[in-house]
Amino acid sequence: MPSQYWGSLADLRDAEIPDYCIEQLVKAGADKAQCVYSAGEKKELNVDAGEFSLFRTTANHGISLSVIKDQKKGSLSINKINQDDIDEAVVTVLIMAASSMPDEAYDISENQPAKSFSKGPTEPELEKMYNRMEEFMDFSGSTFPTTIIEQAIMDFSAGTSYYRNSNGVAFDETGGSYSFSAMFTSKEGEDTSSFNSAGFSSLDMDTTLHKGGSIERLLKESAEHVRTKPVPEKFTGEIIITPDCIMNFIGFILGNISDYRLIAGTSLFRESIGEAIANGLLTLHSMPLSDDLSGGYFVTGDGYEAGNATIIDQGILKTFLLSLYANKTGFERGPNSGGSLIIDPGKTALDDIIKSVQQGVLLSRFSGGSPSDNGDFSGVAKNSFYIKDGKIQYPISETMVSGNIVDMFNNIENISKDIVNFGDEIFPWIHFGGITVS
Amino acid sequence: MINKDLNQYSDFFSAYTELRMQENRNNRISMVNGDVMGNSISSSSGVSSRVYKEGNWGFASNPDLSDSAVEYVVQSASDNVRFMNDRNKIQCGFILPDTCGHYEMDLTTQVSRNSQKQWIDFLKDIDSYIQKKYSHLTSRTIVLAGLDMEKSLLTSSGSTSYSMTPRGIMYVSLNMEKNGEPVELMDVFGGLGQLEDHFLDPTQFYSDIDNLADHLSRKADGVYADAGTKDVILDADLAGILAHEAIGHTTEADLVLGGSVAGEYMGRQVSSELVTLIDYANSVDDKTCPVPVYIDDEGTPSEDTVIIKDGELKSFMHNKDSARHFETKPTGNARAYAFSDEPLIRMRNTAIEPGANTLEEMIAAIDDGYYLMKSSNGQADSTSEFMFGVPLGYEIKGGKLGNAIKDTTISGVAFDVLKTIDMISSDMTWSSGGMCGKKQWIPVGMGGPAIKCQVNIGGR
Repeated sequence: MPSQYWGSLADLRDAEIPDYCIEQLVKAGADKAQCVYSAGEKKELNVDAGEFSLFRTTANHGISLSVIKDQKKGSLSINKINQDDIDEAVVTVLIMAASSMPDEAYDISENQPAKSFSKGPTEPELEKMYNRMEEFMDFSGSTFPTTIIEQAIMDFSAGTSYYRNSNGVAFDETGGSYSFSAMFTSKEGEDTSSFNSAGFSSLDMDTTLHKGGSIERLLKESAEHVRTKPVPEKFTGEIIITPDCIMNFIGFILGNISDYRLIAGTSLFRESIGEAIANGLLTLHSMPLSDDLSGGYFVTGDGYEAGNATIIDQGILKTFLLSLYANKTGFERGPNSGGSLIIDPGKTALDDIIKSVQQGVLLSRFSGGSPSDNGDFSGVAKNSFYIKDGKIQYPISETMVSGNIVDMFNNIENISKDIVNFGDEIFPWIHFGGITVS
Repeated sequence: MINKDLNQYSDFFSAYTELRMQENRNNRISMVNGDVMGNSISSSSGVSSRVYKEGNWGFASNPDLSDSAVEYVVQSASDNVRFMNDRNKIQCGFILPDTCGHYEMDLTTQVSRNSQKQWIDFLKDIDSYIQKKYSHLTSRTIVLAGLDMEKSLLTSSGSTSYSMTPRGIMYVSLNMEKNGEPVELMDVFGGLGQLEDHFLDPTQFYSDIDNLADHLSRKADGVYADAGTKDVILDADLAGILAHEAIGHTTEADLVLGGSVAGEYMGRQVSSELVTLIDYANSVDDKTCPVPVYIDDEGTPSEDTVIIKDGELKSFMHNKDSARHFETKPTGNARAYAFSDEPLIRMRNTAIEPGANTLEEMIAAIDDGYYLMKSSNGQADSTSEFMFGVPLGYEIKGGKLGNAIKDTTISGVAFDVLKTIDMISSDMTWSSGGMCGKKQWIPVGMGGPAIKCQVNIGGR
């Protein structure tokens, strides 16, 4: 069903709706105004407890308005796209701005050449989605008969987003992609594995689902995890963190170079641009424009054309990921809004890295509390394996790993040349030393 | 506003059908070191329909609330279930349990609504109080967040409901440095009700902030917990998250079907006999719970689910489909967050029943252990193995509270930990602002009494 418009908006094309909003906001007195109008649809197939269960179609659209008046700012979003509601929203968001406090840092992006971007299909291959799901269920059932697919979700999302502001910025983005995720548990009698999950996104349905991301490996490991035991002793040793788990730790670094902590003044890295914050083996990029990723974006939340960026280059912090508002910190705005992360692979095969470990853990999932502000962390090693004398020994349970994330990244021992492409990110395995395992 | 009465659309139904109209409204203001970092409101409304036939579901939603959109959405959901029926014939002949109920609940505040300026002034007042009294802090963050969930429902079984369930929350986070290292502590205030029901007078929160600043100062001087299995008291926040994350999830019937360990435990003694654990539908002792549900989003009248009674596992939480599978009654646990979300089996207000002890008696009963007061986050597993972050706690030495401890974690296997409970306090406190993620995020109630038990505590 097409979106419904009423009143004078009935004659407008989608791209003209945000133009109308900007025009009304400026007319109503906004010094600066920004509008994002987006519309899209998702089609989703669900499997629950091993059986097909649901086919879901959701359509939505929405308008987000931000205004600055007298250096005070207000923001509002609605998903009713008709003239009366938009006109009311224009009045309300200006009242919100007037209610607020002035801040010299509020701004909108300066004029840039108008551009349209597109990536991926706009219509799903529905029959193929169903067949791929059926093929996946057949594969997991026959290859891993003790593994229950608790839930599997395959969806296709497509939509268009229009960014406009009163400095004349006009960006249009259209795109679509498939994503697949599965959550699973293995069970033999009363012996139950920890649950695990895996997923990936893609621009097409050409790949068998179990070959995407880490899915086949994690299904296999789940079946092996029905019977586990703790590590034999407390030790300080090594961990190899899998691509599935590394975001738990990278996330701490990203949090410390993004808006909130730098504005609040609590970032550990506020003085670290150009300094080493990790071992020289680590190079981390944010690549929203990469052709190697199915995900990504072309326009940042603060209204700039996105660029690729190297965040950490051979251990050296090269840039913060700051928005336009965070200019108040005195640091430069970042080249993009983060995400689309790629860690450069190393030169050593994963098998050889495992062979180099005296005593440690292959960490596949980390169930941990948020790290302390100083980077101290501890948590349970889930779906993980004990390594001794260069060999994977057995699947573990009730095992804690703890350390300090800042120290950990300064103590990288190795990075694998093996990588996993999840569609939205590409990560290798990373081998760290100096971790407490108990 | 959404239509309260959807009966006019019943002619669109041809099979088992749920029709829901919903609007979620948010107001969020964040202030960091006195600057307004966020000042936004949002609303998201629409209509959805879910149709069941031959063991499959079809679902569709649209943001348009017009009559033609309702008809279109019901038709699309029917088309979607047909798509599934044409391909998946394994579950032919399944029939859902029939439930019917009617309820209307509107918890809109009875006091006059504040303007956005009044809320910003409220935050400025709190911020100024902190800045003046605690000038040594390196940062202060205050967030005010209101959520109104307004829903109306009609099912082909004849159930009708309307609810406006609000939540108003304030987060206060304080940060200081000690020996060059940052130390942080946060607290959450508010709960069921709109912002006006909790936050009209900032001075009412000064003593809470003094308390938070005092704990932060003690934590900055705190010691590392000794790692190992220890006697501990889990205060209401942590007892609540244990009940929700580590036991509650394993007893959601969809997760039982997905292989959770609780599937093997029905009818068995799974905890100390002191423990009765309930997912309350809407009230306890005539007091309304943080997330009251009277009719769930499948139209089932909600009732308390007694998960564990005197230590014995008695029931799982069900929606209609899992009740069909287990040949039992649905329990009214099917809930959806947004208009575009399908109902899932969700907890409502999950807690251990209060016992007979005082907190003082419990502290006095521990020679060497910890009093653990707050949780930062929590994760649990289908095995009931759990891990919770603990940002605030104190040593107990010789039956008395000692030094504060630095951030730590606790872990264990919940069904084993429940067996070690030997004291439960007689009071009951609900946490403010509980949210649960399971495909969709949704507000939940968590809390309870304090419990004395044994857990693994992380050290340095």
